[in-house]
Amino acid sequence: MKKINWSKYSKPIILVVFCIILTILRPTTFPTVSNIANVLWSVSVIGIMVCGTIFVFLVGGIDLSIATLCGFSAVVTVEVIHALGDTTGSVFAAVLAALVVGALAGCAHGIIITTFNIPAFLVTFATQSVFLGLSMVITKNKIVSCTGPAAFTAIGSMKILGFPLPIYFMIVIAIISWFVLRKTVFGRWIYAVGGNPSASAISGINVKVATILCYVFSGMTTALGGVVLASMTREAKAALGSGYTNDVITAGVIGGVSLLGGVGTVPGAIFGAVLMGLLNNGLNLLSVPSTHAGLVKGLVIIVAVGFDAMQHKDQARKKAGFLFFKKKSA
Amino acid sequence: MKKFIVAALCVLLVGSLATGCNREKTVREDAGMAVGGTGAGANSNKVTKDIYNGEEVKIAYVAHDLGTPNNQGWKEGIERECASWENIKVDSYNAEGSAETQVQIMSDIISQQYDAIIIQCSDGTALAPSVKQAEEAGIPVITVNLDADTVHSALVMAVDYDAGRMAADQMASEIGEQGEIAIIQGVPGLKRTDNLERGFRETIANYPGIEIVDAQSASFEKDTAITVMNSFLQSHPNLKGVFAINDAMAEGAALAAESAGKKGQLSIWGADGEKDALAMIESGDMTGTIYTNSWDEGSTAAKIALLMIGSEYSYNVLTKTPQVIMEPIVVTKDTVGDISEEDRW
Repeated sequence: MKKINWSKYSKPIILVVFCIILTILRPTTFPTVSNIANVLWSVSVIGIMVCGTIFVFLVGGIDLSIATLCGFSAVVTVEVIHALGDTTGSVFAAVLAALVVGALAGCAHGIIITTFNIPAFLVTFATQSVFLGLSMVITKNKIVSCTGPAAFTAIGSMKILGFPLPIYFMIVIAIISWFVLRKTVFGRWIYAVGGNPSASAISGINVKVATILCYVFSGMTTALGGVVLASMTREAKAALGSGYTNDVITAGVIGGVSLLGGVGTVPGAIFGAVLMGLLNNGLNLLSVPSTHAGLVKGLVIIVAVGFDAMQHKDQARKKAGFLFFKKKSA
Repeated sequence: MKKFIVAALCVLLVGSLATGCNREKTVREDAGMAVGGTGAGANSNKVTKDIYNGEEVKIAYVAHDLGTPNNQGWKEGIERECASWENIKVDSYNAEGSAETQVQIMSDIISQQYDAIIIQCSDGTALAPSVKQAEEAGIPVITVNLDADTVHSALVMAVDYDAGRMAADQMASEIGEQGEIAIIQGVPGLKRTDNLERGFRETIANYPGIEIVDAQSASFEKDTAITVMNSFLQSHPNLKGVFAINDAMAEGAALAAESAGKKGQLSIWGADGEKDALAMIESGDMTGTIYTNSWDEGSTAAKIALLMIGSEYSYNVLTKTPQVIMEPIVVTKDTVGDISEEDRW
């Protein structure tokens, strides 16, 4: 009989266990299509962003400017729509403009980091302030509302088969990221660069280009997250998306992404985001008062991540034991 | 005799405010205005300046978070009030929501010898020493909406407990005094929003048919409120109304209700009266809000600051901070038209 390697499935198991517990506790409200749609909807922005920032994490970088770049791209989107008028075409142009802004921002990050050899932490820490400043100057630090064209509001809330559009964006981006990382040479480069930059440079990988491209993609997904968030809330402001930097990094790390680079997968990162969404949803459905929510959330994350880590440790231990055993017998 | 003059000045101050502004309602607490016991005013550091004869004056506005419509509204109100005099300079400082940053900003301002400070105290206890220090240095401090836990020149505030009470009564009559309702909370620990919630809860308690079935925090954020409202709609399919502690969250709740196909079917109330909320009330997405004119509130704070700068009246004659309370207006779809475009902040 073929032995199933359960540890490989520890993340889905955690999610399933979670869903079962919530189903038992809230049998009428949790396992409904609309609730699942709500959970996924609430994590879609984080999900979209983490699928891009995982590239940055994999090359050993970090992006602290996620939140303010998200806010800035939202501001760009809404301002472009206001400038061009309430038409579907202007929405198209606005989204494109936001993506270009995101790509340029990422490109700038990548070039500065690789050319001057400054830690990504410092560069993105500085640009975080730059993006916030730009949004504040453009909006005069006010909320710019945009109830505008239907095409704009559709981005964040239109439903297809009962699921809001951002969920589909998340899935598409996740598939693209997964495909690039798993199935292309470029993906292997990224893991190699994150694992050992000097070795990969020697083996002929253009570390600089690979790193810059990672930041460009990360900037674009962040910008898309900003567009979705602006559409969901129908407004843009400099502070839109505040807190998302933490959320995105946390989702990645919960999903097993190493901040030292070279380790992590797209499904893992999505798992992290969905786990956080499920947790928030569960706490809300169980009417846990906000004073207790933080405590419960922290403890549950420790248990879930601990369980996941234990599974992998077991696997590593088994492998190590196997080697040891073989050596002895040899 | 001196005490009498000081008391007379206080009455004059309140009186001039009551007649000077049309929208504000001044509440004078007799105990609050009483003259301090020991030789009041004798050891005051208060510097007076003649604003109306061109003496240079600078006022500092320390915002809790300038990104919020309220804080912007006050800023604009203060600036408008001072715009007529070229010798008055207004500087705005943004604490980005942090009480610690406000404390730092306060010490900078005090050392730069501003003539008056207008501040919304993110944390009344944490800022009390700074406010006291400013007053002792002869700089009058006027707090806006969020008080400091120390006696200072004045507090200008929008109603809090009463706003909750009004929203509760309105919602109760709208849903026929029975059914399930929920509350979307802000961040606990702020006096204003805690009072708002208390006002709402205590008033709803008068209606035995209404049950508050859930209360969750959305941290004053619109996008979080969408998620919270979605879960309310899941857990409580019979939900008839939602009260959000601020308008941004009420707007989020309205968006969630719309996406769930329940636009206009729920009674969704907020508090503040920012222009986006008024627009949503007009379009029928939101039911109502308790409106306060933030521009007026800012300019009232500035008026008091200017009065204080020009007079010898000092905080150390007070045993309690005098309060000026802004008039709240209940806004529903029927009355939203009464709030003219130039009063929408």
